[in-house]
Amino acid sequence: MMIEKRSPVKTALIYIMLAALTIITLLPLVWMLSASFKLSTEVFTFPIRWIPETFHWENYVTIWQKIPLALFTFNSFKLSVIITIIQLLTSSFAAYGFSKCRFPGRNGLFLAYIATIAIPWQVYMLPQYIMMQKMHLIDTHLAIILLQSFTAFGVFLLRQFYISIPNELLEAARIDGLSEYSTFARIVLPLTKPAMATLTIMSFVTVWNDYMGPMIYFNSERTKTIQLGIRMFIGQYSAEYGLIMATSVMAILPVLVVFLAFQRFFVEGIASSGLKG
Amino acid sequence: MRKAIAILLIALTAITGAFAGGSQESTSSDGTTTLTFAVWDYAQNVYLSKAIEEFQAANPDIKIEVQDTPAADYVTKLNTQLNGGSDVDLFLVKEADKTKTFFDRGQLANLTPYIEASGTDMAAYNGTDANFIFDGNTYGMPVRTDQYVLFYNKDIFDAAGVAYPSNDMTWAEFEDLAAQVTMGEGATKKYGAYFHSWNACVQNWGVQDGKHTIMDGEYSFFKPYYEMVLRMQEAGTAMSFAQIQASGLSYTDIFAQGQVAMLPMGSWLINTMISRNLSGESDVNWGVAVVPHAEDVPAGYTVGATTPICINNASKNKDAAWKFVEFLSGPEGAQIMAENGQVPALSGEGYLETFAAVEGMPEGVMEGLYAAHISPDRPAMDHVTEIDQMLLAEHQLILLGEQTVDEGIANMNANYARIMGN
Amino acid sequence: MTKRMPLAERMKKPGNKTLSERKASSLKRKNALIGYTFILPNFLGFAIFILIPVVFTLVLSVMKWDGFTAMEFVGLRNFETIFTDYRFSSAFWKTLLYVVFSVVLTLLASLGLACALNKKIAGRDAFRAAIFFPYVASMIAIGAVWKQLFEQSYGPINSFLRGIGISNPPGWFASTDWAIWGVIIVSIWKFMGYYMLIYLAGLQDIPVQLYEAATLDGATGPQRFFRITLPMLTPSTFFVFIMLTINSFKSFDLIFALTEGGPGISTTLLANYIYDQTFKYWNYGSSAAASVVLFVIVLAVTVIQFRGEKKFTDYL
Repeated sequence: MMIEKRSPVKTALIYIMLAALTIITLLPLVWMLSASFKLSTEVFTFPIRWIPETFHWENYVTIWQKIPLALFTFNSFKLSVIITIIQLLTSSFAAYGFSKCRFPGRNGLFLAYIATIAIPWQVYMLPQYIMMQKMHLIDTHLAIILLQSFTAFGVFLLRQFYISIPNELLEAARIDGLSEYSTFARIVLPLTKPAMATLTIMSFVTVWNDYMGPMIYFNSERTKTIQLGIRMFIGQYSAEYGLIMATSVMAILPVLVVFLAFQRFFVEGIASSGLKG
Repeated sequence: MRKAIAILLIALTAITGAFAGGSQESTSSDGTTTLTFAVWDYAQNVYLSKAIEEFQAANPDIKIEVQDTPAADYVTKLNTQLNGGSDVDLFLVKEADKTKTFFDRGQLANLTPYIEASGTDMAAYNGTDANFIFDGNTYGMPVRTDQYVLFYNKDIFDAAGVAYPSNDMTWAEFEDLAAQVTMGEGATKKYGAYFHSWNACVQNWGVQDGKHTIMDGEYSFFKPYYEMVLRMQEAGTAMSFAQIQASGLSYTDIFAQGQVAMLPMGSWLINTMISRNLSGESDVNWGVAVVPHAEDVPAGYTVGATTPICINNASKNKDAAWKFVEFLSGPEGAQIMAENGQVPALSGEGYLETFAAVEGMPEGVMEGLYAAHISPDRPAMDHVTEIDQMLLAEHQLILLGEQTVDEGIANMNANYARIMGN
Repeated sequence: MTKRMPLAERMKKPGNKTLSERKASSLKRKNALIGYTFILPNFLGFAIFILIPVVFTLVLSVMKWDGFTAMEFVGLRNFETIFTDYRFSSAFWKTLLYVVFSVVLTLLASLGLACALNKKIAGRDAFRAAIFFPYVASMIAIGAVWKQLFEQSYGPINSFLRGIGISNPPGWFASTDWAIWGVIIVSIWKFMGYYMLIYLAGLQDIPVQLYEAATLDGATGPQRFFRITLPMLTPSTFFVFIMLTINSFKSFDLIFALTEGGPGISTTLLANYIYDQTFKYWNYGSSAAASVVLFVIVLAVTVIQFRGEKKFTDYL
């Protein structure tokens, strides 16, 4: 649709730049992969040895034997999926309220949402913990689900996308007799698939990679997540970097799958989303 | 509107409170008491699992449930739990100076009545319990003691044809010795000495005499040691600070790979080195000697730390908890620790002999662990962590050459005043 | 199609009120109720689990508290403490430097990448995944790679700099002057893919018809970018700007992995200061007061941006 006449020189330049950037961005991945096949004593040798001398494939076996990695992965997956779904549902609802409904106190309330993002989590962690302790939710997944499902981030993100939906479109739907809820479900939701995909990726990644939350709230092996599993290879006086990196590589795979699955929503755009009609 | 929101909030708090479930009973119907015990690096501290196993066998009515946290975050988590009103029953205090803060907040159970009732002889702890006595009562029982010793690589000394470090050596002799055993160039260079990037690895030699502490506020006593380390960096007989920071290597790896001849480090490394040797990750022949000392300080004066076990004041099972405290800090626990390569805080009964007989232990380890006096690395005082962090910042700047030793010490003095003045 | 034209027209003529808007005001009351129902599910959770703890923190900034026993009101003493703390002022100015450069440069990089990767080019998905990758990579790996790349004597970056004739390249993480710039570079590298995603999603929201109309009017590439793409991306930019600002102010774990705030305290930013005060020194009053400072700055930036955005939404 976007017809642009680009000179071959310009195209070539773009490719060269992108290729260079890609190489730089993938450096840690290459480093991780390479380190995951090394003994922990070989990981930090200098200069960097990008291809291991001998491949220690057994690292990928050891990690499953030393810690209950399957259980940890399952726990991480469970938390990420549940929290992402709750975030998508409640945030999209609230974002619609904040962008397309008018009511007293709307802007003030919205500002309160954003302002809370400014406070570092470490600072209000203690009151949250006291709350969870009183509710007897320590060492349960519910604690993290409750604490991470209602972040201001999702509401803020989606609101920004809803704002650019022309009001005329909604007016038309209302005139056609659709209720506010159906307008939301039938007009706004389908139009903002890219935004929902963005939130899905970001929410999933955030929960999946979170370490501090599970570290504070989960005590027993039964509840722990994959990020806690990775740290189990780091001791006070030594760390098994080969195993850490092997686990990290395993931990990154699901995130990349989610990213690749959802980023395709960024290509269809307006053309296929029905705004045309 | 505001009222409506307020009412809603109250209602919701009530609802969320309701699904919270019943209260946790720690004594089950069959009469067993379950104790929660907070530890760090459980898998690496084998003596803990062995001790728990034996304790449970001897006390079938008590079950110990371990709550394991990575070492780096252990204190953060424990602090959050205690402040949050958790009823975790027992815990080890990783940075022993934090014991004072926990005591100030009323989070520690007074152990003196238990000690008196059980007739425990506190003298057997050689004064390591002094850090945990507040207002005349004991709030923590010493479990393990770690002290700084000098690790050395026998292979490098043999190759250089130089005698191994002695147990009575001054820092000046140490510096000379490091020059004698430094050899090679580039990636295969063997350094005579390695001072890890922690501020403790230079500043400890100032507080080793037992007269100074890191809380003195006037830090000119660090000066000779900074000058020594800078000289050695310059001469290439010690690995440079910048290189240590950039490489990301741990001191364990550097020593286990045979890159350095001498490493002043905590006795905790003994256990790690044994397991590296046994697993084949390292083939270095190593030994342990008493850490060097200043001219006017006798041999055997060193720096160290004692780890205590405490009972949470909020614990509902203090009596049962004491039984485990008594076990772990007493002769049974000490024996288990010694058998597993850990120096217990309790003295006597041949624990050191047991320790020295552990498989893979180098010869002469008992002599190397000789200590005439152990100064605490961090005295139990307010703001210790803050001052320590401040000293670390200035330490980095001195060793990177961003400031002279005198400037660094002046900054330490000034910053100490500023922090304590707040 | 017909609906699109008025929108494009009105973009040039702001301030026109439509009939439907006047009609809407009569439905105000009903609409307000409906509005609340949309917000309620999220707000309940948000209020209990985030807002209340945050408000508690604000209160804490005027209290003396050890985290466990009773609090004591101390007025503004915590603020006095942090404002006279040399570590706070150092962290404050370093944070401003860091925020200004990382926000502007990351924003430009992510916008540029989003525009480049919105085009139909071969291997686009792979490029996108690669650019996003630093955001999900393990912190240990990131710290290790960049520390080695920036190593002053043997590191590849300085070797390159020497190769192009700079005889005395910077010391990077071993230098108090250069460490913060190393952190800024790594931070742009890590976050540009993340914000690129938001811009990519925003680009999908721009009606193609606008570009078609502009092309018919003979607009050039840059004209289309500045007259259509950029204005239409205003909500995304608002979001990216606010989130970047907030996240830069809160930036913490990257520095932890790269420098741990050193050498000295040269890369200790506000968030590290707050982290130390909370988790290391247990000075809850100071950390709450420092958070309030952060809070006020972010609030001010947000309100200014908010005004700008309002102007924009009036166009629609």
